[in-house]
Amino acid sequence: MNGAHMNETKQRTFDIAVVGAGPAGSMAALYAATGGRNVCLFERKQTVGIPVRCGEGIGLKGISASAEFDRRWVQATIRKACFMSPGGRTVTLEDIEESCILDREIMDRDLALRAESAGAVLLCGTPVLSVSRSDRALYRCTTPAGDYFASCVILAEGVESRLARSLGWDTSLALSDIESCAFCRIRHPSIQSDAVWFYVGSTYAPGGFAWVFPRAEGWANVGLGLLGSLCESGKPQQFLERFVERFFPGSSLTDLHCGGVPVGKWVKPLVRDGVMLVGDAARQVNSLSGAGIAYGMYAGRLAGQTAARAFETGTCDYRRLADYEKAWAKHLGKQQLRSYALKTMLLLKNNDAFLERIARSFEHADPSRLKYVALFLRAFARHPLLLLKAWRLFGANRAGRRTGDT
Amino acid sequence: MLTIDKDKCDECATCVAVCPADALCLAQHLSVDTGRCTECGTCVKVCAFGALSHTTE
Repeated sequence: MNGAHMNETKQRTFDIAVVGAGPAGSMAALYAATGGRNVCLFERKQTVGIPVRCGEGIGLKGISASAEFDRRWVQATIRKACFMSPGGRTVTLEDIEESCILDREIMDRDLALRAESAGAVLLCGTPVLSVSRSDRALYRCTTPAGDYFASCVILAEGVESRLARSLGWDTSLALSDIESCAFCRIRHPSIQSDAVWFYVGSTYAPGGFAWVFPRAEGWANVGLGLLGSLCESGKPQQFLERFVERFFPGSSLTDLHCGGVPVGKWVKPLVRDGVMLVGDAARQVNSLSGAGIAYGMYAGRLAGQTAARAFETGTCDYRRLADYEKAWAKHLGKQQLRSYALKTMLLLKNNDAFLERIARSFEHADPSRLKYVALFLRAFARHPLLLLKAWRLFGANRAGRRTGDT
Repeated sequence: MLTIDKDKCDECATCVAVCPADALCLAQHLSVDTGRCTECGTCVKVCAFGALSHTTE
């Protein structure tokens, strides 16, 4: 090896490589760099955050738990949540946890910039084509711009989770564990800037729901997701066009995009021989709501911190990376498995008549006193069998965890 | 054979996530490894924009 080549290889060698500059990846890179490590952050797209493939709704508690929150990320502040039943009944919740609609384009860019300011090297327009072992303690990340090397790799590659597959994980999603979504932005005078709307039932979105999340008065993100097993080629787009035509007649669809949302359990293990999975790549998404920003940011931060700490002895101690999975499982991991149990149970009972009965029972309820949990309790109270099934699912999750630990 | 309609494809990678044969890859653009593809139709089914189809030839 000549001197110039050695020099170049050295420049291309990092402690930690993070693949994907979404919220999960940028958080991982930020905290790994803050922890004193030499970090590289790869992004396939030319510009971070574009296009936005997201409904952009989030609870403030969820996002503040991981990142220093910037008010500039907020498009609209939400005061109430409204549910539309298959038959057109509305249930309104007014006393909801503080929530907002984000501008992901600004937020994603800011998070990547924070990682960069902390010392991470951000490489946009650089897809990682493969990750392989270079030697016992080093991974090779192959890109069109040549090879890069790192002791530890954090995969935040999004829903495709393909590099993870090449490293031995089985991350291919079953059709019952993915929502195929289509979304767009529309302008319509009926859109209120402080209310989110969920439309549930097979007429709007079989095995999923449609959402209207305001960006401002008269302007909203509108989208819907169909469960993979109930989806057919092109159907989400057709359902979206039909939905907009029905509820917001005359408005045209702009920024039309599609995307897959994992709604299964999170991947086990999350860590393997110096490689960690975070965010959508790890299927860390609330299975019931499809919300993944807060989960991804929390996991990214945790993974970045854990990876940085694993280097305390100088080289990466792979055994210490497992702390990430332990901490995740204990906190949001547990919450996700609960949401998965609820989702599975609702799907067992997913018929429009059932949803209509719940909506009817709330018809005269006071919106300011209604809570999300009340909706579920009511559903269960009326259907004790469901409660039993849910209980079994929780039990199954706990048993699964025990076997997973051994 | 699996065909990708490049005008319809939004490059969201949902198809990559469900492919049981690991035959699809999104680098700069979506591509299919016809040697691996078993033509099971899973990707065609989940594509929200209808950009994938099987053609006989």
